[in-house]
Amino acid sequence: MLWVWILIGVVVVLGIVLALGYNRLVRLRMEADTGWANIDVQLQRRADLIPNLVEAVRGYAAHERGVFDEVTKARSALQHAATPGAAAEANEGLSVALGRLFAVAEAYPDLKASENFLQLQDDLTDTEDKISAARRYYNSTVMHFNTAIQSLPWLLVAKPLGFHAKEFFSAEGDIAPPQVSFSPAT
Amino acid sequence: MTLQEQIRSNRFRSAIVVFGFALLLLVVAGLIGLALDVSLGVVALAIAVVYGLFALIRSRSMIAGMTRAQPLGPEDLEPLRRLVENVSIGAGLPVTPEVRIVDDEAPNAFAAGLRPQKSYIGVTTGLLRTMPKRELEAVIAHEVSHIRNRDTYLMTMATVFAGVIALIADIGFRAIAYGGRSRKAGALVAVLAIVGFILAPYAALLLRMSLSRRREYLADGGAAEILSDAEAMALALRRLGLDSTSVRYADASTAHLWVESPTDRVDSERRGVLVLSGWFNTHPPLDSRIQALEEAGGFQLPQRLSVDEPFAAELGLV
Repeated sequence: MLWVWILIGVVVVLGIVLALGYNRLVRLRMEADTGWANIDVQLQRRADLIPNLVEAVRGYAAHERGVFDEVTKARSALQHAATPGAAAEANEGLSVALGRLFAVAEAYPDLKASENFLQLQDDLTDTEDKISAARRYYNSTVMHFNTAIQSLPWLLVAKPLGFHAKEFFSAEGDIAPPQVSFSPAT
Repeated sequence: MTLQEQIRSNRFRSAIVVFGFALLLLVVAGLIGLALDVSLGVVALAIAVVYGLFALIRSRSMIAGMTRAQPLGPEDLEPLRRLVENVSIGAGLPVTPEVRIVDDEAPNAFAAGLRPQKSYIGVTTGLLRTMPKRELEAVIAHEVSHIRNRDTYLMTMATVFAGVIALIADIGFRAIAYGGRSRKAGALVAVLAIVGFILAPYAALLLRMSLSRRREYLADGGAAEILSDAEAMALALRRLGLDSTSVRYADASTAHLWVESPTDRVDSERRGVLVLSGWFNTHPPLDSRIQALEEAGGFQLPQRLSVDEPFAAELGLV
């Protein structure tokens, strides 16, 4: 009879370990999803600022049509990006287009001095800072999640259970930020 | 240790702290009961518990009062609030903590609040005047990590309990000193009780301090992770160390809340006299905190201080 009890004990312990591990994966995935939602909010905010900015510049430099088109296109690419990687690419693209828009604005002193334009520029910089903060958080949650599902024993069962590795929010050529692992000296 | 594990370990510690303080409370109440009168012990215990509950509920505004931290108006110091918001986003905090200003020349900062949703960060004007943006960000990130790790919860509990212990020990002490005639026990018990009343607040202090020092290393590491910039935190700590001004309205009851010891003169002088007194330091020495960051981040602080202009310039505060 003894071996039956040992067997039951082993099964119970194994079950508990698996349940705890599974919960941990679910929690890590949820953190990554929250991290993504944070980035999404800021990307949306950035996209929302663009039409006003384009209007502000158009008021002074109506003939610079090429730049406006480029910015508008980049904006819609950002709004239609389906994956974190694509969104990061599109976000970079928007930065490039905006760089050109601001270069155009340089030529118009009245525009540069206008209260509305300065405010928009300020908001945009702030949003960019927020995107990079949200990106740091998201990428670190993704790293924790990916590491968890790519290490044993989950490596074998993560996929069938529906855990798929997540994509970093980084454009091509970007390197994922170095992680500071910290164990306190006590 | 991942963040969630850290939070759970903090909850566990909180439970231990609560238990430890409850025990200490019972011991002191028991001493009063033994030395004087059982009913007096019960009354003292009741007063202490009611005071403790009240303090816990009011802790948010009490800490603000003790540190003289002023809330900001909706239009004030917009860049500072933006900075705090950005750091909170980087930390994944669901709600950005409120910012309060302590009008004090000593550069320092603290975090308070029982729940992350209702927390705030206090910043001295001295901090804004000394720190360049990058280092200020690191200090704020340090405070944000305290909030995220639930350290503020743990420390608020500890503060309140320490106050409760001090109160009940004081009641006991006075009762023996002035109400000696109702004493039924012998002189030995009375002496024992007096010794107990004197030692109890120190035991409470010791329990509290042992908690706060390790948290500082963790919060430094958290800040480095939030900003992906361990060097900024180390630079900020070094700059904090250069200034030895004490925060005016910081005393033993709020010392552990600040990013660096608000009364560092006292700390370092004590340390020279007696090794044991290091136990009562609320913060580990800045040097070892900087060293821990250097090891984790794999860098060496440059000898020279950066000459970036302080953030106060951006705020128009200079």
